[in-house]
Amino acid sequence: MSPMQDHLPRIRHRQGLHLGLIVLALAVLVLAMALAVSIGEIHIPLATTFKALSNALGMSEYSLDRIHESIIREYRLSRTLVAACCGAGLALCGAILQALLRNPLAEPYVLGISAGASTGAVCIMVLGIGGGAVGLSLGAFLGALGAFAVVLALSRGASSSPNRIILAGVAGSQLFNALTAWVISTSASAEQVRGIMFWLLGNLGGVRWPDVTLALAVVLPGFVICLLFARALDAFTFGQDAAAALGIPVGAVRLILFAITALMTATMVSMVGAIGFVGLVIPHAARFIVGTAHVRLLPASLLIGAIFMVLADIVSRVILPHQSLPIGVVTALVGAPVFAMILYRARPPL
Amino acid sequence: MSIQAHGVSWSTAGRLIVDNVSLAITPGETVGLLGPNGSGKSSLLRLLCGLRRVTDGVVTFDDAPLAQLSRREVARRLALVEQSATTDADVTVLDVVRLGRTPWRSMLAGWREEDSAAVEQALAQVGMTTRRHQSWHTLSGGERQRVHIARALAQRPQELLLDEPTNHLDIQHQLEILALVRRLSTTCVMALHDLNLAAMFCDQLVLLKQGRVAAAGTPESVLTSQRIFEVYGVDTVIERSPHHGCLHVHYLPRQGMSTQASLTPYV
Repeated sequence: MSPMQDHLPRIRHRQGLHLGLIVLALAVLVLAMALAVSIGEIHIPLATTFKALSNALGMSEYSLDRIHESIIREYRLSRTLVAACCGAGLALCGAILQALLRNPLAEPYVLGISAGASTGAVCIMVLGIGGGAVGLSLGAFLGALGAFAVVLALSRGASSSPNRIILAGVAGSQLFNALTAWVISTSASAEQVRGIMFWLLGNLGGVRWPDVTLALAVVLPGFVICLLFARALDAFTFGQDAAAALGIPVGAVRLILFAITALMTATMVSMVGAIGFVGLVIPHAARFIVGTAHVRLLPASLLIGAIFMVLADIVSRVILPHQSLPIGVVTALVGAPVFAMILYRARPPL
Repeated sequence: MSIQAHGVSWSTAGRLIVDNVSLAITPGETVGLLGPNGSGKSSLLRLLCGLRRVTDGVVTFDDAPLAQLSRREVARRLALVEQSATTDADVTVLDVVRLGRTPWRSMLAGWREEDSAAVEQALAQVGMTTRRHQSWHTLSGGERQRVHIARALAQRPQELLLDEPTNHLDIQHQLEILALVRRLSTTCVMALHDLNLAAMFCDQLVLLKQGRVAAAGTPESVLTSQRIFEVYGVDTVIERSPHHGCLHVHYLPRQGMSTQASLTPYV
């Protein structure tokens, strides 16, 4: 068989393989979410979880323990769904930024977004700006977008070089972190400081159904739009000029993808606080499994990010008796060693 | 005429880099852009393919102004091989060459037979067919340049622009790359440093000095001792080589500059 004839079937074969991987990852995600709903202070059998889910979807009318059913409906299911969306969104943003900025260390927070969100949240919590009319989440959201605008302005528009944006992001983050620290150290009470710390490290505790709707409404369309740009992201492999020479309208693509990334991150951070490491580590792990082509990397990052965050949420709730750790602590504790391992195993041949 | 520049200028950060350049590229020819460092060769190439926007003048493709074409339309007729472009991503030869099909694929279209055919032909043209699955990071500089050329050929361009394609390569690989470019039926415009290689492999030469065209035409008309002294400040003797029949530039040492021949053996 000539190499040319052999080319298409091989591609088709690989596509089949990747479809299989996606189905497998979806199954793992569903199982992880079911576990996350079952495990907790009050243990609920897995069977009950699935029955309650089926009831909630109106597919059946099993009679279940009322307490179990309401715990599932009111608390755990929404929390798990937001955890999944959050992991998915942050990992997706990481994959996109790493491609656009051509920097393996790029992640959502490199754009100064989490620092801005923290400042926004602290201004609401401690200084009482907005007089209660502006909620914590909205404050964080506005802070995040504000910081992103500052970073873009510092880097003089979205068409400047990748390194400039990263440097501007670092500068912006330092600035907003300093503002946050200033407000906390001059105005906050000990009680407030504890609350803020918990939020800064990521907290899924206060999540309810409206958050689920918002998270899904941001992550799913965002993912679809990003997927449309998968091929354009591939074209950035050799840099912006190379992408432009391949016919990609570089300025427009960057602007759209930056906007989506900023919106997704700002929404996530405003809901659950700053959760580190997911946006950085997950795309690298995904690349390890499915390679660098974005049409596969983006779905893989999305799914692995969701699974990782749901599992991290379980760990954060069961590792200490009668209390839960901030989820950001868990993601970093797990993420850092995993990242080190990936770096070690994926090192290029010398 | 394929690509034409009409009085093209470009300045950045208040400095004029390309100054009122006009040139016309004849289809099928291999054109060499020569000039000292900073004379505007790379910038001119980027203006010709629309990666930088001219501050003055017009670039046309078959009489259509470049500014009126979309990025994709430009990429379908013209490909660029950048100077030693590399990546950290773990890609294979095939991945890189397949990038060349980007301008021909719509957002949702799958991989088609014609894409495969273009990729296969491009791999064959640069002699990398059997190494398609090799990782980018295991390739030598010369091989990477060949893969870049294959990627550019997969775009099925009418014109190929190359920015110092032989940079950082040893002489064997320089000759190999230039012979490869020379064999292509595509119109080629390439920035080069080596005057002798330019004389061997190019039909036409354009000599730039401080952003302006100092001379343009056949190697015989462009490469004269006097002009090379004006542009580079170097004394030369130029003669037709009895070995390969092309012009050959001998560089003469300036007074006080020692060479192998002038070194007195240390006894």
